[in-house]
Amino acid sequence: MENDVIIKAEDLYYSYDDTRSYSLNGFSIEIKKGSKVAFMGANGAGKSTFFLCLNGINKPSRGRLFIDGRELKYDKKELLSLRGRVGIVFQDPDNQLFSASVMQEISFGALNIGMSPDEAREAVDKVIDILEITPFREKPTHSLSGGQKKQVSIADVLVMDPEIIILDEPAASLDPRHTAIVNRLVDKLVARGITVLISTHDVDYAMEWADDIAVVHRGQVIAFGEPAKVFSDTELLRKTNLRKPAAIELFESLTAKGVLPAGLAVPANLSILEEYISNI
Amino acid sequence: MIIVDKLCYQSKLRYVNPMEKFFFAVITLILCIVSRSVFMGVAVLLLNRILTVKIGGISGPRYDRLMLIPLVFLLLSTLAVIVNFSRYPLDAFSIPLGSIYITGSWAGLMRAARLIITAMASVSCLYFLSLNTTMTDIIEVNRKLKCPELIIEMMMLIYRYIFLMLDIAYNIMTSQNARLGNKDMRTSLSSFGAMGQILFIRSMKRSRALYDAMEARCYDGVINVLTENRAVSRKNVMLIVLCEAVLLGYTILVKVQDPGGIF
Repeated sequence: MENDVIIKAEDLYYSYDDTRSYSLNGFSIEIKKGSKVAFMGANGAGKSTFFLCLNGINKPSRGRLFIDGRELKYDKKELLSLRGRVGIVFQDPDNQLFSASVMQEISFGALNIGMSPDEAREAVDKVIDILEITPFREKPTHSLSGGQKKQVSIADVLVMDPEIIILDEPAASLDPRHTAIVNRLVDKLVARGITVLISTHDVDYAMEWADDIAVVHRGQVIAFGEPAKVFSDTELLRKTNLRKPAAIELFESLTAKGVLPAGLAVPANLSILEEYISNI
Repeated sequence: MIIVDKLCYQSKLRYVNPMEKFFFAVITLILCIVSRSVFMGVAVLLLNRILTVKIGGISGPRYDRLMLIPLVFLLLSTLAVIVNFSRYPLDAFSIPLGSIYITGSWAGLMRAARLIITAMASVSCLYFLSLNTTMTDIIEVNRKLKCPELIIEMMMLIYRYIFLMLDIAYNIMTSQNARLGNKDMRTSLSSFGAMGQILFIRSMKRSRALYDAMEARCYDGVINVLTENRAVSRKNVMLIVLCEAVLLGYTILVKVQDPGGIF
């Protein structure tokens, strides 16, 4: 079983100002290879800080971090190889996209991990195709919409063929249509066997999509497990100010009122609940 | 500047190899300035207008409006060549003003006309380049011409982030206006100052975030990117060589035959 763990964090501490407050305050987690994990918790709880640790940008002051069973080392060679294996899609694409040309932007990471220009060109074309960027590949970055910029920033990372992709609030400030597009692209990543970590505030999406939910609170993971289990814990949700997913809320109330028979599995989404109801 | 940036992405000549466009523009520009010929200036003006408007597909009126901008500056600065204050009237025109005349000579007028046409022809060469070539392509030309890497990278980042800066500045200005931040001179000045401050702070934050994001993709000091392959067209190269040969021939002819003349 140990081989299946791709990320293991043991008691990490990290502080941005080295003095008072710790952004990571004894952060521990184990993530299985190929799984989909949603990180939930208030802004400033430590999700993004942990993500930057996974990529070696932030170096924890205490604790140990293993990727693929190897402890992280912070010399240049190890860092470069780590960053090739763990990709981060940042929350604000404008902080990530540095080139005015979509093609050049995507090629950056590919060339940095040592591809030859010909290989990189091929990889870039492939990613542009997979992530449906072709319609705007010749447009300048500054004229793209928020959703299109997000697509390019996912391509930035996917082109490096990482084992783990982290998306920091991928749906932040996207309209529903682009949120749907980004969600569909995320599913494509999962289908390629990539371990995907997402931070999100959307409980319904997390419930339906994730294999595991990690609830982060004041620099610690205070709950980790299947969505049905985590989201049924009313006390936990109250403590972290999370809303209960609509499907669970309705399911619990219907079960309590005796409309639904006891002993049904917690539904992952509203359509499963709908099926329960129509089966009565 | 933003209009020019939008137009070049719509130009039909956008995908033509940027090297071809660059050399056409620069050599023509140099020949214009060397020959100083009025006839050649007019020819180049027409040629660039045809290339940009007819072939590039940029709207004629818009092109003319863009050309007017430098023309206004030129006219103002050539006034000094045309108008003299003198005790004696010169041959072209003279307006008596007490004991002196506001006056000008035919030679002065011709010199001014020649200056304006040469300058406008040169400007049209640069317009041809910037209205039909995207900034990323121009940066690529610089890279191929062995411009220092540092300058290339700065051009890339500045071009990318200038639009973000403008956007933020515009938003801040709107929110200041919404709260009467510009009701009189005093508040306008202090609002403008505050905006400058915030832009600076935001830029610092953004540069740090950008650096992190680049590091996350294995950045180690050099910005490696691919270049677009724009096919070199044999036909274009031949046409450019032919055109420049004619212009060069004409320049030599003018210099040998009529060194001081205007044709």
